[in-house]
Amino acid sequence: MFERALTQVKYNKDGDLLFSVSKDHVICVWFSQNGERLGTYHGHQGAVWTIDSNPTSSILASGAADNTVRLWDIKTGKLIKTWDLPTAVKRVEFSEDGLFLVATTEQRMGHLGSILVYSINPDIEGEQDDEPSLKITCEQSKATVVAWSYLNKYIIAAHENGTISQYDSKTGEQLLNVQVHEKGPLVMDMQMSPDRTYFITASKDKTSKILDVNTLQVLKKFETDTPLNSAAITTKKEFVILGGGQEARDVTTTAARQGKFEARFYHKIFEDEVGRVRGHFGPLNTIAVHPAGVSYASGGEDGYVRLHHFDKSYFDFMYEVERTRAQH
Amino acid sequence: EDLIMESEASAIVIEARRRLLEEWRAWRSRIERDLAEEREDAGLPPFGADEEKEMEGATVIE
Repeated sequence: MFERALTQVKYNKDGDLLFSVSKDHVICVWFSQNGERLGTYHGHQGAVWTIDSNPTSSILASGAADNTVRLWDIKTGKLIKTWDLPTAVKRVEFSEDGLFLVATTEQRMGHLGSILVYSINPDIEGEQDDEPSLKITCEQSKATVVAWSYLNKYIIAAHENGTISQYDSKTGEQLLNVQVHEKGPLVMDMQMSPDRTYFITASKDKTSKILDVNTLQVLKKFETDTPLNSAAITTKKEFVILGGGQEARDVTTTAARQGKFEARFYHKIFEDEVGRVRGHFGPLNTIAVHPAGVSYASGGEDGYVRLHHFDKSYFDFMYEVERTRAQH
Repeated sequence: EDLIMESEASAIVIEARRRLLEEWRAWRSRIERDLAEEREDAGLPPFGADEEKEMEGATVIE
Protein backbone atom coordinates (compact mmCIF):
# COMPACT_ATOMS: atom_id res chain seq x y z
CA MET A 1 0.00 0.00 0.00
CA PHE A 2 0.94 3.67 -0.02
CA GLU A 3 3.24 5.41 2.37
CA ARG A 4 2.03 8.91 1.66
CA ALA A 5 -1.33 10.63 1.87
CA LEU A 6 -3.82 9.86 -0.89
CA THR A 7 -4.94 12.78 -3.04
CA GLN A 8 -7.55 11.27 -5.39
CA VAL A 9 -9.17 7.92 -6.17
CA LYS A 10 -11.21 7.44 -9.32
CA TYR A 11 -12.97 4.55 -11.07
CA ASN A 12 -12.92 4.17 -14.84
CA LYS A 13 -16.23 4.35 -16.68
CA ASP A 14 -16.83 0.58 -16.60
CA GLY A 15 -15.89 0.43 -12.94
CA ASP A 16 -13.50 -2.51 -13.27
CA LEU A 17 -10.45 -0.33 -12.59
CA LEU A 18 -9.66 2.01 -9.73
CA PHE A 19 -6.91 4.62 -10.10
CA SER A 20 -5.25 6.24 -7.12
CA VAL A 21 -2.73 9.01 -6.66
CA SER A 22 -0.93 10.29 -3.60
CA LYS A 23 1.82 12.57 -2.45
CA ASP A 24 4.12 9.81 -3.74
CA HIS A 25 5.11 10.44 -7.34
CA VAL A 26 3.49 7.25 -8.56
CA ILE A 27 0.04 6.55 -10.02
CA CYS A 28 -1.51 3.16 -9.16
CA VAL A 29 -4.21 1.14 -10.87
CA TRP A 30 -6.14 -1.60 -9.03
CA PHE A 31 -8.77 -4.16 -9.94
CA SER A 32 -11.84 -2.77 -8.22
CA GLN A 33 -13.35 -6.22 -7.65
CA ASN A 34 -10.58 -7.69 -5.47
CA GLY A 35 -8.27 -4.76 -4.73
CA GLU A 36 -5.33 -6.40 -6.48
CA ARG A 37 -2.77 -3.96 -7.86
CA LEU A 38 -2.60 -4.11 -11.63
CA GLY A 39 0.21 -1.66 -12.24
CA THR A 40 1.86 1.70 -11.71
CA TYR A 41 2.69 4.72 -13.87
CA HIS A 42 6.07 6.33 -13.25
CA GLY A 43 7.29 9.73 -14.40
CA HIS A 44 5.94 12.52 -12.20
CA GLN A 45 8.55 14.41 -10.18
CA GLY A 46 6.25 15.61 -7.41
CA ALA A 47 3.04 14.86 -5.52
CA VAL A 48 0.35 13.74 -7.95
CA TRP A 49 -2.84 15.67 -7.15
CA THR A 50 -5.32 14.34 -9.65
CA ILE A 51 -6.19 11.68 -12.23
CA ASP A 52 -8.97 10.75 -14.64
CA SER A 53 -9.44 8.11 -17.32
CA ASN A 54 -11.21 8.71 -20.62
CA PRO A 55 -14.55 6.95 -21.36
CA THR A 56 -12.93 4.15 -23.38
CA SER A 57 -10.37 3.52 -20.62
CA SER A 58 -7.50 3.89 -23.08
CA ILE A 59 -5.98 7.16 -21.82
CA LEU A 60 -5.24 8.29 -18.28
CA ALA A 61 -4.63 11.97 -17.50
CA SER A 62 -2.77 13.16 -14.42
CA GLY A 63 -1.82 16.49 -12.88
CA ALA A 64 0.92 17.08 -10.34
CA ALA A 65 3.02 19.37 -8.18
CA ASP A 66 5.79 19.08 -10.81
CA ASN A 67 3.79 21.58 -12.93
CA THR A 68 2.80 19.04 -15.57
CA VAL A 69 -0.30 17.46 -17.00
CA ARG A 70 0.49 14.03 -18.46
CA LEU A 71 -1.34 11.52 -20.60
CA TRP A 72 -0.66 7.79 -20.24
CA ASP A 73 -1.51 4.72 -22.25
CA ILE A 74 -3.54 2.83 -19.62
CA LYS A 75 -2.71 -0.64 -21.01
CA THR A 76 1.07 -0.31 -21.38
CA GLY A 77 1.78 2.42 -18.82
CA LYS A 78 3.61 4.40 -21.50
CA LEU A 79 3.73 8.19 -21.14
CA ILE A 80 2.19 9.65 -24.30
CA LYS A 81 2.14 13.40 -23.63
CA THR A 82 3.51 15.95 -21.16
CA TRP A 83 2.27 19.51 -20.95
CA ASP A 84 4.61 21.78 -18.97
CA LEU A 85 2.81 24.54 -17.09
CA PRO A 86 3.98 27.43 -14.91
CA THR A 87 2.47 26.08 -11.68
CA ALA A 88 1.07 22.92 -10.03
CA VAL A 89 -2.03 21.21 -11.41
CA LYS A 90 -4.71 20.42 -8.84
CA ARG A 91 -7.50 18.89 -10.93
CA VAL A 92 -7.95 17.28 -14.34
CA GLU A 93 -11.15 15.87 -15.84
CA PHE A 94 -12.15 14.44 -19.22
CA SER A 95 -15.37 15.63 -20.86
CA GLU A 96 -18.05 12.94 -21.14
CA ASP A 97 -17.10 12.23 -24.78
CA GLY A 98 -13.40 12.10 -23.88
CA LEU A 99 -12.50 14.64 -26.57
CA PHE A 100 -11.45 17.36 -24.13
CA LEU A 101 -9.51 17.58 -20.91
CA VAL A 102 -9.87 20.41 -18.42
CA ALA A 103 -7.08 21.26 -15.96
CA THR A 104 -6.63 23.89 -13.24
CA THR A 105 -3.32 25.51 -12.43
CA GLU A 106 -2.33 27.05 -9.12
CA GLN A 107 -1.78 30.71 -8.43
CA ARG A 108 1.86 31.56 -7.62
CA MET A 109 3.87 34.75 -7.60
CA GLY A 110 3.66 36.18 -11.09
CA HIS A 111 1.06 33.65 -12.22
CA LEU A 112 -2.70 33.87 -11.82
CA GLY A 113 -4.60 30.62 -11.48
CA SER A 114 -5.98 29.35 -14.77
CA ILE A 115 -8.34 26.82 -16.27
CA LEU A 116 -7.02 25.12 -19.40
CA VAL A 117 -8.86 23.00 -21.94
CA TYR A 118 -6.95 20.61 -24.21
CA SER A 119 -8.35 18.84 -27.26
CA ILE A 120 -7.63 15.15 -26.87
CA ASN A 121 -6.75 12.88 -29.77
CA PRO A 122 -8.29 9.53 -28.76
CA ASP A 123 -5.70 7.69 -30.86
CA ILE A 124 -2.93 6.68 -28.46
CA GLU A 125 -0.38 6.53 -31.28
CA GLY A 126 -1.50 9.92 -32.67
CA GLU A 127 -0.16 13.41 -31.99
CA GLN A 128 -1.61 15.57 -29.23
CA ASP A 129 -1.83 19.36 -29.54
CA ASP A 130 0.89 21.28 -27.71
CA GLU A 131 -1.31 24.24 -26.84
CA PRO A 132 -4.63 24.37 -24.99
CA SER A 133 -7.72 25.05 -27.10
CA LEU A 134 -8.98 27.41 -24.40
CA LYS A 135 -7.43 29.28 -21.51
CA ILE A 136 -9.47 30.98 -18.80
CA THR A 137 -7.50 33.19 -16.42
CA CYS A 138 -8.99 33.43 -12.93
CA GLU A 139 -8.51 37.16 -12.26
CA GLN A 140 -10.61 37.21 -9.11
CA SER A 141 -9.82 34.01 -7.31
CA LYS A 142 -8.02 30.83 -8.40
CA ALA A 143 -10.02 27.69 -9.13
CA THR A 144 -9.48 24.83 -6.69
CA VAL A 145 -11.52 22.22 -8.59
CA VAL A 146 -13.19 22.04 -12.01
CA ALA A 147 -15.64 19.74 -13.77
CA TRP A 148 -17.51 19.34 -17.05
CA SER A 149 -21.28 19.58 -17.38
CA TYR A 150 -23.36 17.35 -19.68
CA LEU A 151 -22.65 17.63 -23.41
CA ASN A 152 -19.47 19.69 -22.71
CA LYS A 153 -21.73 22.70 -22.38
CA TYR A 154 -20.23 24.32 -19.31
CA ILE A 155 -17.07 24.17 -17.28
CA ILE A 156 -17.89 24.49 -13.60
CA ALA A 157 -15.21 25.78 -11.24
CA ALA A 158 -15.06 26.24 -7.49
CA HIS A 159 -12.85 29.14 -6.43
CA GLU A 160 -10.68 29.89 -3.44
CA ASN A 161 -13.17 32.58 -2.33
CA GLY A 162 -16.00 30.04 -1.97
CA THR A 163 -17.79 31.04 -5.16
CA ILE A 164 -18.71 28.69 -7.98
CA SER A 165 -18.54 29.73 -11.62
CA GLN A 166 -20.18 28.49 -14.75
CA TYR A 167 -18.18 29.12 -17.95
CA ASP A 168 -19.21 28.65 -21.54
CA SER A 169 -16.83 25.85 -22.52
CA LYS A 170 -16.47 27.13 -26.12
CA THR A 171 -15.72 30.80 -25.44
CA GLY A 172 -14.54 30.72 -21.84
CA GLU A 173 -17.01 33.45 -20.96
CA GLN A 174 -18.13 33.43 -17.33
CA LEU A 175 -21.90 33.06 -17.37
CA LEU A 176 -22.59 32.75 -13.65
CA ASN A 177 -20.69 33.24 -10.41
CA VAL A 178 -22.42 32.46 -7.13
CA GLN A 179 -21.28 32.55 -3.50
CA VAL A 180 -21.96 28.97 -2.39
CA HIS A 181 -19.45 28.29 0.37
CA GLU A 182 -17.72 30.40 2.99
CA LYS A 183 -14.76 32.49 1.96
CA GLY A 184 -11.59 31.15 3.56
CA PRO A 185 -12.19 27.42 3.99
CA LEU A 186 -11.48 25.86 0.58
CA VAL A 187 -13.82 23.87 -1.62
CA MET A 188 -11.84 20.64 -1.86
CA ASP A 189 -13.94 18.49 -4.16
CA MET A 190 -16.65 18.70 -6.76
CA GLN A 191 -18.16 15.62 -8.43
CA MET A 192 -20.81 15.42 -11.14
CA SER A 193 -23.90 13.21 -11.12
CA PRO A 194 -23.67 10.37 -13.68
CA ASP A 195 -25.55 12.39 -16.32
CA ARG A 196 -23.68 15.60 -15.35
CA THR A 197 -26.83 17.65 -14.78
CA TYR A 198 -26.06 18.31 -11.11
CA PHE A 199 -23.03 18.13 -8.87
CA ILE A 200 -21.89 17.93 -5.28
CA THR A 201 -19.29 20.05 -3.51
CA ALA A 202 -17.24 19.43 -0.36
CA SER A 203 -15.84 22.35 1.61
CA LYS A 204 -13.60 22.88 4.61
CA ASP A 205 -16.52 25.00 5.88
CA LYS A 206 -17.98 21.60 6.99
CA THR A 207 -20.78 21.60 4.46
CA SER A 208 -21.47 19.84 1.22
CA LYS A 209 -24.00 21.08 -1.33
CA ILE A 210 -25.77 19.82 -4.41
CA LEU A 211 -26.21 22.35 -7.23
CA ASP A 212 -28.06 22.41 -10.52
CA VAL A 213 -25.45 22.62 -13.29
CA ASN A 214 -27.64 24.95 -15.42
CA THR A 215 -28.65 27.52 -12.79
CA LEU A 216 -26.06 26.94 -10.01
CA GLN A 217 -29.01 26.93 -7.64
CA VAL A 218 -28.29 25.08 -4.39
CA LEU A 219 -30.71 22.13 -4.26
CA LYS A 220 -29.43 20.30 -1.18
CA LYS A 221 -27.19 21.05 1.77
CA PHE A 222 -25.44 18.57 4.07
CA GLU A 223 -24.13 19.88 7.36
CA THR A 224 -21.41 18.09 9.32
CA ASP A 225 -19.14 18.78 12.28
CA THR A 226 -15.86 18.38 10.45
CA PRO A 227 -14.00 20.02 7.52
CA LEU A 228 -14.80 18.08 4.36
CA ASN A 229 -12.35 16.99 1.70
CA SER A 230 -14.53 14.91 -0.57
CA ALA A 231 -18.13 14.23 -1.56
CA ALA A 232 -19.52 11.64 -3.95
CA ILE A 233 -22.99 10.84 -5.28
CA THR A 234 -24.05 7.19 -5.21
CA THR A 235 -25.92 5.54 -8.06
CA LYS A 236 -28.67 2.94 -7.45
CA LYS A 237 -29.39 4.55 -4.07
CA GLU A 238 -30.24 8.18 -3.25
CA PHE A 239 -27.23 8.77 -1.01
CA VAL A 240 -24.17 10.93 -0.90
CA ILE A 241 -20.90 9.97 0.81
CA LEU A 242 -18.90 12.65 2.58
CA GLY A 243 -15.39 12.41 3.96
CA GLY A 244 -13.01 14.65 5.82
CA GLY A 245 -11.69 15.16 9.31
CA GLN A 246 -9.24 17.37 11.06
CA GLU A 247 -5.54 16.53 11.09
CA ALA A 248 -4.42 15.03 14.40
CA ARG A 249 -2.04 17.94 15.03
CA ASP A 250 -4.94 20.38 14.88
CA VAL A 251 -7.15 18.70 17.46
CA THR A 252 -7.05 16.33 20.38
CA THR A 253 -6.04 12.72 19.76
CA THR A 254 -9.58 11.64 20.54
CA ALA A 255 -10.62 12.72 17.04
CA ALA A 256 -10.34 9.14 15.75
CA ARG A 257 -12.47 7.80 18.59
CA GLN A 258 -15.07 10.50 18.03
CA GLY A 259 -15.52 9.18 14.53
CA LYS A 260 -14.10 12.18 12.74
CA PHE A 261 -12.41 9.87 10.26
CA GLU A 262 -15.48 7.99 9.12
CA ALA A 263 -17.13 8.08 5.72
CA ARG A 264 -20.55 9.62 6.32
CA PHE A 265 -23.60 8.60 4.36
CA TYR A 266 -26.39 11.14 3.96
CA HIS A 267 -29.73 10.76 2.23
CA LYS A 268 -29.42 12.85 -0.93
CA ILE A 269 -33.02 14.06 -0.93
CA PHE A 270 -33.83 14.29 2.81
CA GLU A 271 -30.36 15.59 3.84
CA ASP A 272 -30.29 13.31 6.94
CA GLU A 273 -27.24 11.37 8.01
CA VAL A 274 -28.06 7.66 7.61
CA GLY A 275 -24.82 5.89 8.49
CA ARG A 276 -21.05 5.91 8.90
CA VAL A 277 -18.23 3.61 7.86
CA ARG A 278 -14.99 3.44 9.82
CA GLY A 279 -11.63 2.37 8.55
CA HIS A 280 -9.18 5.25 8.26
CA PHE A 281 -6.75 6.47 10.89
CA GLY A 282 -6.60 9.99 9.52
CA PRO A 283 -8.76 12.38 7.48
CA LEU A 284 -10.45 11.03 4.37
CA ASN A 285 -9.01 12.96 1.47
CA THR A 286 -10.92 11.43 -1.41
CA ILE A 287 -13.99 9.30 -2.11
CA ALA A 288 -15.24 7.73 -5.35
CA VAL A 289 -18.34 5.67 -6.10
CA HIS A 290 -18.35 2.75 -8.55
CA PRO A 291 -20.34 3.84 -11.65
CA ALA A 292 -22.80 0.97 -11.12
CA GLY A 293 -23.18 1.89 -7.45
CA VAL A 294 -21.91 -1.49 -6.17
CA SER A 295 -18.92 -0.23 -4.19
CA TYR A 296 -17.00 2.83 -3.14
CA ALA A 297 -13.36 3.63 -2.52
CA SER A 298 -11.81 6.06 -0.08
CA GLY A 299 -8.27 7.36 0.21
CA GLY A 300 -6.94 8.70 3.48
CA GLU A 301 -4.27 10.93 4.89
CA ASP A 302 -3.13 7.66 6.54
CA GLY A 303 -1.90 6.40 3.15
CA TYR A 304 -4.53 3.70 2.72
CA VAL A 305 -6.97 3.10 -0.11
CA ARG A 306 -10.03 1.28 1.20
CA LEU A 307 -12.52 -0.51 -1.01
CA HIS A 308 -16.04 -1.23 0.27
CA HIS A 309 -18.51 -3.46 -1.51
CA PHE A 310 -22.07 -2.64 -0.53
CA ASP A 311 -24.10 -5.45 1.07
CA LYS A 312 -27.77 -6.39 1.00
CA SER A 313 -28.74 -4.20 3.96
CA TYR A 314 -27.37 -1.17 2.13
CA PHE A 315 -29.49 -1.85 -0.94
CA ASP A 316 -32.54 -2.71 1.19
CA PHE A 317 -32.36 0.49 3.23
CA MET A 318 -35.28 2.76 2.38
CA TYR A 319 -37.31 5.41 4.11
CA GLU A 320 -40.97 4.64 4.64
CA VAL A 321 -42.02 7.35 2.15
CA GLU A 322 -39.69 5.91 -0.49
CA ARG A 323 -41.14 2.45 0.09
CA THR A 324 -44.76 3.56 -0.26
CA ARG A 325 -43.90 5.79 -3.18
CA ALA A 326 -42.03 2.92 -4.89
CA GLN A 327 -45.12 0.71 -4.77
CA HIS A 328 -47.30 3.15 -6.70
CA GLU B 1 -50.51 12.35 25.39
CA ASP B 2 -46.78 11.99 24.68
CA LEU B 3 -47.58 9.30 22.20
CA ILE B 4 -50.05 11.52 20.38
CA MET B 5 -47.48 14.33 20.25
CA GLU B 6 -44.89 11.90 18.93
CA SER B 7 -47.12 10.52 16.23
CA GLU B 8 -48.14 14.04 15.18
CA ALA B 9 -44.48 15.03 15.01
CA SER B 10 -43.61 11.99 12.96
CA ALA B 11 -46.59 12.67 10.67
CA ILE B 12 -45.14 16.12 10.01
CA VAL B 13 -41.70 14.63 9.31
CA ILE B 14 -43.18 12.05 6.96
CA GLU B 15 -45.21 14.70 5.19
CA ALA B 16 -42.08 16.86 4.77
CA ARG B 17 -40.15 13.91 3.36
CA ARG B 18 -42.97 13.10 0.96
CA ARG B 19 -42.89 16.68 -0.29
CA LEU B 20 -39.09 16.64 -0.70
CA LEU B 21 -39.27 13.37 -2.58
CA GLU B 22 -41.93 14.70 -4.92
CA GLU B 23 -40.06 17.95 -5.54
CA TRP B 24 -36.88 16.06 -6.34
CA ARG B 25 -38.59 13.60 -8.67
CA ALA B 26 -40.44 16.39 -10.48
CA TRP B 27 -37.17 18.28 -10.96
CA ARG B 28 -35.42 15.12 -12.16
CA SER B 29 -38.08 14.27 -14.72
CA ARG B 30 -37.96 17.83 -16.08
CA ILE B 31 -34.14 17.78 -16.30
CA GLU B 32 -34.07 14.31 -17.83
CA ARG B 33 -36.60 15.37 -20.47
CA ASP B 34 -34.57 18.51 -21.31
CA LEU B 35 -31.37 16.47 -21.49
CA ALA B 36 -33.00 13.91 -23.80
CA GLU B 37 -34.08 16.77 -26.11
CA GLU B 38 -30.65 18.37 -26.14
CA ARG B 39 -29.01 15.01 -26.80
CA GLU B 40 -31.42 14.33 -29.63
CA ASP B 41 -30.63 17.77 -31.14
CA ALA B 42 -26.95 16.85 -30.93
CA GLY B 43 -27.66 13.54 -32.70
CA LEU B 44 -26.90 11.47 -29.60
CA PRO B 45 -28.83 8.52 -28.12
CA PRO B 46 -30.58 9.07 -24.77
CA PHE B 47 -28.19 9.22 -21.82
CA GLY B 48 -27.19 5.77 -20.57
CA ALA B 49 -28.51 3.92 -23.63
CA ASP B 50 -25.04 2.68 -24.58
CA GLU B 51 -24.16 1.74 -21.02
CA GLU B 52 -26.96 -0.61 -20.06
CA LYS B 53 -25.29 -3.53 -21.76
CA GLU B 54 -21.84 -2.87 -20.35
CA MET B 55 -23.20 -2.72 -16.83
CA GLU B 56 -24.70 -6.19 -17.08
CA GLY B 57 -21.34 -7.64 -16.13
CA ALA B 58 -21.23 -5.72 -12.85
CA THR B 59 -22.08 -7.71 -9.75
CA VAL B 60 -25.05 -6.09 -8.10
CA ILE B 61 -25.91 -7.49 -4.71
CA GLU B 62 -29.60 -6.97 -4.30
